[in-house]
Amino acid sequence: MHIIVENLAKAYGLLWALKDLNFALKPGEFVAILGPKGAGKTTLLRILAGLVSPTAGSVKLDGATLSDGATALRTKIGFLTPADHLYDNLTVSENLYFFTSLYHQQKNSHAIDQALQQVNLADRADEYAANLSSGMKCRLSIAKWQLLEPELLLLDEPYGVLDGGGVDVLEKFLQGQCAMGRIVVVASHHVSRVLKLSSRAVILNRGRLTFDEIKQQPWPNFDKAFGEFLPQGETWRS
Amino acid sequence: MALLRESYLLLWKDLLLELRRRESLLTMFFFGTLLLFVFHFSFDLAPERVAEMAPALLWLAFLFTGTLGLAQLFQPERENHCLDALLLSPLDRGALFLAKSCLNLVLMIVVEIVVIPLFWILFNLRSWNLLPQLFLVTLLGTIGFCVLGTITSAITLRARARELLLPLVLFPLMIPVILATIRCMENVLRTGEFGDAIPWLRLLLSFDVIFLTVGVLIFDRVIEN
Amino acid sequence: MAQVAIKKRKGILGALAFVAVAIGLFWSLVIAPPDAYQGDVQRIMYLHLPSILTAYLSYFLVFIGSGMYLWKREKRDDLLAHSAAEIGVLFTALTIIEGSIWGRPTWGVWWTWDARLTLTAILLLIYVGYLMLRSLIEDENRAASAAAVLGIIGFLDIPLIHMSVYWWRTLHQPPSILRPDKAPWENVHPAMLTALAISFVGFLLLYFYLLSMRYRLGEMREEIRARRLDRGA
Repeated sequence: MHIIVENLAKAYGLLWALKDLNFALKPGEFVAILGPKGAGKTTLLRILAGLVSPTAGSVKLDGATLSDGATALRTKIGFLTPADHLYDNLTVSENLYFFTSLYHQQKNSHAIDQALQQVNLADRADEYAANLSSGMKCRLSIAKWQLLEPELLLLDEPYGVLDGGGVDVLEKFLQGQCAMGRIVVVASHHVSRVLKLSSRAVILNRGRLTFDEIKQQPWPNFDKAFGEFLPQGETWRS
Repeated sequence: MALLRESYLLLWKDLLLELRRRESLLTMFFFGTLLLFVFHFSFDLAPERVAEMAPALLWLAFLFTGTLGLAQLFQPERENHCLDALLLSPLDRGALFLAKSCLNLVLMIVVEIVVIPLFWILFNLRSWNLLPQLFLVTLLGTIGFCVLGTITSAITLRARARELLLPLVLFPLMIPVILATIRCMENVLRTGEFGDAIPWLRLLLSFDVIFLTVGVLIFDRVIEN
Repeated sequence: MAQVAIKKRKGILGALAFVAVAIGLFWSLVIAPPDAYQGDVQRIMYLHLPSILTAYLSYFLVFIGSGMYLWKREKRDDLLAHSAAEIGVLFTALTIIEGSIWGRPTWGVWWTWDARLTLTAILLLIYVGYLMLRSLIEDENRAASAAAVLGIIGFLDIPLIHMSVYWWRTLHQPPSILRPDKAPWENVHPAMLTALAISFVGFLLLYFYLLSMRYRLGEMREEIRARRLDRGA
C-alpha cells in the first residue's frame, strides 16, 4: 500500500490540531511519530485510520480517499489503542471471533487458539475481557491484528501498558508485519524503544511536521530536533 | 447478502451482551409493569371504560419503556471506544442500523408479550380472543418506533441533555404511529375485527417501510465522526 | 463591489416586501368586503393562510438544504437549512397565534384539537426540536449532520402526519377556496381573492427578505470563525 498525505490540516473549534502536513509512506516502513503531548499525534493517527475527516488536505491510500465511501479500503487498516476496542462482557475468544467476522475474515476456533497462544493468552480464552489487565488487553488487541493482517497498522502509545514479555510479543509482531511489506506507524513517548525498531522518525510539534528522516547511525539531526522538547539541560543521544 | 450477514453478527453480539448483563431488559420490563400500576391508581376506571382506555394506556407504557431502551441502545459501544472500532471496520453502517433497531425490537417485544396479558389480568378484561390481532398491531407499531427511534438515538448520541432531547425529537415524529396503533386497537376491541381500521394498518406499514429504507440508506451520515 | 450590489438587492427586496405587505393589509382591511357569515373576524385569514403556506415552503427548504448538505457537505447548504428552520418556526408560531385569535370569537375557545391547528402545532414541535438538537450538540460538523438527518426525516414524516391527523379529526371549517366541487373563484368574492393574492405575495417577499438576512448573519459568523482560526495558526 502507498500512502500520500497532502496539505493535511485539522481544526477543532478555533485551534489547529494539525497544519500543513505532507509526507508519504511506503510498504515495509516502520515510522515512529514522536513529539510532546498535544502535538497532534493521536489526531494524525485517527485521520489515517479514517475515524476523523480532515478540515483540509487529503490522505490517499493507493490513490483513493476513505471518504469516497471506499469501505474495501477499511479492511486493510488496523488501529491499536491499548485496552480499547474490546467488549468487556465478551470473552477473549468471543472478541476475536466477533472482530474477525466483522472484517469478513472469520476464523475457526483453531486459528483463534493459535493466535492466543502466540500472545500468551491461551489460558484466558474463556475469560471476560473486563477481567484482563490493560497489558493483557493490549496483547489481545495484538492477537486480533495478527489475525487480521492489515496493510497499514497504526499504534497509539502501545508501550505504556506492556511488561517485558508483552513488549517482546509486540516487537516480534511488528517486525513480522514490516518483513511482509506492510506499513507500521507507532506514536509513542517511549522514544528509545520505538526507535529501536523503526526505519524512520517523524516529529510533530504543535500540529506541524518539524522533522522527517530515515533512521541513520549516528543521527545528530534527530538528537538535535528531539532535544528541543526535553527539559532544560537534558540532551538526547541515540 | 453482506448487509444481512453483518446485521446478524452485530445483533448476535448485542443479544449475547444483553443476556449477560440484562440491564436493558430488566429495567424496561420493570418500568413497563410499574407504569401499569401507576395507571391503575391514576385513572379510577369503571370496568366498562377500561376496554376503551386499554390501547392508549398500553401504548403510553410502551412508548416510555421503549424510550428507556433507546437511551441505552448504544451503551456497549460507549465503553472502550467500541463505536470507533465498528466505524474503523468495513462494516456497512446500514447493518449497524438494522442490528440496533432489531435489538430494541426484540427487547420491546419481550416486554409487550408479558405486559399485554398482565394488563388484561390486572384490569379484568375479557376479550382474550382478540389478543393475536392486538399483538399484530402492536408489532407493526413497535417496528415503526424502533426504526425511527434508532435513528433518533444515534443522532442525539453526543448531544447534551440527551435523555431529554431524545423524546423531544422522537415523539412528535411518532404521532402517525401512535394514532394508527391506538385507533386500530380500539376498533379491534370494539368490533372484534380490523374492518374500518384497515387504512390505519396500511399507514403503519407504509411508515415502517419508509423509515426502514431511509434508515439503512442514511445511517452512515448519522453515525460518522 | 459584489458586497455592495448584494446589499442593494437586499434593500430592494426589503422595500418591495414592505410595500407588498402594506398594500395587502390595505386591501385586506379596507377594500375586501367582510365575510357573509363570519364578519370582520374572517379578515385574519389574509394573514393566516399566507403564514402557514410560507411555513411549509420553509420546511421544504430545510429538506432541500439538509439533503444537499448530506450529499455535498457544503456549509452553505447547512446554513440554508438552519436559516429556513428558524424563519419557519417563526412563521409557524405566527400561524398558530393568528389561528387562535380567529378561533376565539368564532368558536368561543382559544384552542381546539381540530386537524389543522393540531397539525400546525406538531410542525412547530418538530422544528423546535430541530433547533434544540442543533444547539445541544457542541461540535459544529456533528450538529450539522445530525440536524440534516432530522431535517430529512421530519419532512418525509409530514405527509404521514397529515393523513393520520386528518383521519382522526375533521371539524375545521372546509377550506373555502379549495372546495373540490367548485372552482376557486366561484366561491369567493373577487376582492377577497385579490386581497389574499397580494397578501401572499407580500408574505413571500417578506419571508425571503428575512431568510436572506438570517443567511447573511450565518455567513458572517462563519467568516469570523474562519478568520479567528487562521489567526490562531
